[in-house]
Amino acid sequence: MDAKTIKQEEVLKVVGTRPVRPDGVPKVTGLARYGADFALPGMLWGDILRSPHAHARIRGIDTSKARALPGVKAVITSADFPEQKYEFLGPERVAINFWHMTRNIMAREKVLYEGHAVAAVAAINKAVASEALRLIEVDYEPLPHVIDVDAAMQPDAPLLFEDMITRGVEPAPARPSNVSKRIEFKLGDTEAGFAAADEIVELSFKTAPVHQGYIEPHGCLARFDADGQGEIWASSQGHFVVRAYTARLLDMNIGDVLVHPAEIGGGFGGKTVVYIEPVAALLSRKTGHPVKIVMSREDVFKATGPTSGSSMTVKIGVKKNGKIVAADGVFKFQAGAFPGSPVMNATMCGFAPYDIPNVRSVGYDVVCNRPKSAAYRAPGSPISAYAVESTMDAVAARIGLDPLQFRLMNAAKAGTQTAWGPKHAHDGYAETVKALLDHPAYAAPLAKNQGRGVASGFWFNNGGESSATVHITEDGSVAVATGSMDIGGSRASMAMMAAETLGVAYDQVRAIVADTASIGYTHVTGGSRVTFATGIAVVEACNKVIDELCARAAMIWNVGKGEVVWEQGCARFSGQDSGKFEPLSLKAIAAKRAVTGGPIGAEVSVNAGGAAPGFASELCDVEVDPETGSVKILRFIVAQDVGRAIHPSYVEGQMQGGVVQGIGWALNEEYIYDAAGHLLNAGFLDYRVPVASDLPMIEAVLVEVPNPNHPFGVKGAGEANIVPSMAAVANAVANAIGRRLTELPMSPPKVLAAIDSGRRG
Amino acid sequence: MAPALAHVVLISSLSREYTDGVNEFEIEAQTLYDVIRVLDRRYPGLGEHLEDQTSVAIDGEIYEVGYYHRLRPGCEIYFIPKIEGG
Repeated sequence: MDAKTIKQEEVLKVVGTRPVRPDGVPKVTGLARYGADFALPGMLWGDILRSPHAHARIRGIDTSKARALPGVKAVITSADFPEQKYEFLGPERVAINFWHMTRNIMAREKVLYEGHAVAAVAAINKAVASEALRLIEVDYEPLPHVIDVDAAMQPDAPLLFEDMITRGVEPAPARPSNVSKRIEFKLGDTEAGFAAADEIVELSFKTAPVHQGYIEPHGCLARFDADGQGEIWASSQGHFVVRAYTARLLDMNIGDVLVHPAEIGGGFGGKTVVYIEPVAALLSRKTGHPVKIVMSREDVFKATGPTSGSSMTVKIGVKKNGKIVAADGVFKFQAGAFPGSPVMNATMCGFAPYDIPNVRSVGYDVVCNRPKSAAYRAPGSPISAYAVESTMDAVAARIGLDPLQFRLMNAAKAGTQTAWGPKHAHDGYAETVKALLDHPAYAAPLAKNQGRGVASGFWFNNGGESSATVHITEDGSVAVATGSMDIGGSRASMAMMAAETLGVAYDQVRAIVADTASIGYTHVTGGSRVTFATGIAVVEACNKVIDELCARAAMIWNVGKGEVVWEQGCARFSGQDSGKFEPLSLKAIAAKRAVTGGPIGAEVSVNAGGAAPGFASELCDVEVDPETGSVKILRFIVAQDVGRAIHPSYVEGQMQGGVVQGIGWALNEEYIYDAAGHLLNAGFLDYRVPVASDLPMIEAVLVEVPNPNHPFGVKGAGEANIVPSMAAVANAVANAIGRRLTELPMSPPKVLAAIDSGRRG
Repeated sequence: MAPALAHVVLISSLSREYTDGVNEFEIEAQTLYDVIRVLDRRYPGLGEHLEDQTSVAIDGEIYEVGYYHRLRPGCEIYFIPKIEGG
């Protein structure tokens, strides 16, 4: 893609302002329609029977009693889904194996985690569906299970797949194991680098698996016509992905499935996959009725993708002057019941903020008896950043350097070689560190039992395929449609970029999310890609519309098209005697649309490249209660390079939200299992996410180093903010109590134990 | 435009699978299409793998693999794993 000219801040009228959000009124009045809000005449309720075992062979399923229950219209098991070929398709990190996916939707030979779907029913109401589930008899042969990643890697660990040979190892291992894949990235000579170091710090860490914690449970409605066409209403982060996966799992043509995007109540990566949509669609096909399925919160916790728990060791070698000369990281991630943890991202992102001549990063993707992991906000990067940034802090303390100055002197910039190969093409990291150094809070005094921590992080912001249409309505207002689910304010940002490009007021533009039949393919809302990639599609569509508007004006004035320019929202005659025509507004040209050729609009589909990565640096002040081990967040500042904020309030909200999730990950959140592998805290009362009363106002500092590959300089804002948060909190706690905890969450009993060990020591 | 030499690097897993461990190449090319075709002629199957499963960094800028990317003389091309976010 050719470099674009970024519009300078001083000429922007809409970008960078904070108009009222277009989705606000329907949400606060309760009129917004989420996945569970749709209904159709004749609709049935679907429900899913889930495994009580963490690991068991399925010897048989008897559904006869359930089928005989009055009001039950269909019962399905895995036998009703077509078998899928065993093959990994698509790119590394998200390689899809439909053999695995269909088994995650509905267990076949074995159940691999408590909550694994085993059968489903469709009935006239929820009560009958629930009763029918109780009548399904499953003959299980319970098997030993394993959840912890280190335990799952032991040679004698129970195997989830008896024939799984580790990929990425040569020669290939002779014996199967739970290690699905080994990944390694290497730059320089780490052995020589460590030999040249004056100081070496090596630490090991563990993190608990955590859930994305979206407020809205998965919900969908599916309708299947007798002619083989299906229609789905669902909340997701990508209705095109729902369409593609459902079609594949039910052996349909993609074009025979129409997916309507519902409003979404949070996803954070967890709604980039399907769980219930193919089940509802199959039940609808069996019954001839629309079928609705809504997960309970317990189902969400037990059967949908959390992110990985991990075990990690990081080693950093440094010269006395503070220059890092070598780094090594080993990252072992739980994939859950099927391969595909975000460990590759972790290995690539962990050391990415730094200019290190010798670095090695090794990752292991390990299956275990818990739900298949799904993407979670900068997948993998916060986990490796926790280990790397905690070790960085320990290194800074060892050599007596200020932790921010230490990071700044080793900061990667444009031209720095990465461990995975190419050189960084963009600056932005050092600017986030400087933003914290310049912040008065960094020098603010701390009281007894208080501590301050800093940390940084990197995330690849993505580009990719997106589509947009822009239409000028009959009265000259503007209708924008895209294929990107609006999960973080994209309807506002798309309308703002369109308004800015067209030179009209924001309230003259209305943006919507179109269904899969009404707009071109658009990849998921994830990877912080939408404002960048879909934004480019919108701007290019606007530019095509402007070309057409100029042509229409030329026709109205009977002049050459080359004599018309578009300025300040109007077509203006630029030929000789330029004052002889009054400028034509959108409204004036729209009024003449019929006589000048008909409706005015454009559709643009792009495969946007040149997305610049995001860096964030964060400062956290805590107070630790020495009697209880409770940690209170006193202050939190996040400085993130976002390129340019289209709607700063939304961007600040993204930054604050990412930090809050990171704080929960650091202090509270974890899956607690009993000895049999049963999840004991499958609800928000016992799985404790931070709430407003737990937190101070998170201060968002927008750092704007524009991306030259986007018309307005956008880099992406949704994910880099969560990357440093756990390490920032951990470093603050270490600073407060004089002991470093190396396991998340840092719940009060663990903090108290660390304090007590200090008292004894 | 005359073809220019591009410096092309494959990540280690690709070179293990397709190129007997060779992971750096100098290729005369005007576009990324030329690079992919040259590599695929030398190592059958590699081209499809690159198209389907990797992203590409051209002088550090990361793109989806596309035939249409024009290359400057002396550019650095890294085929890297495709990243997916949350």
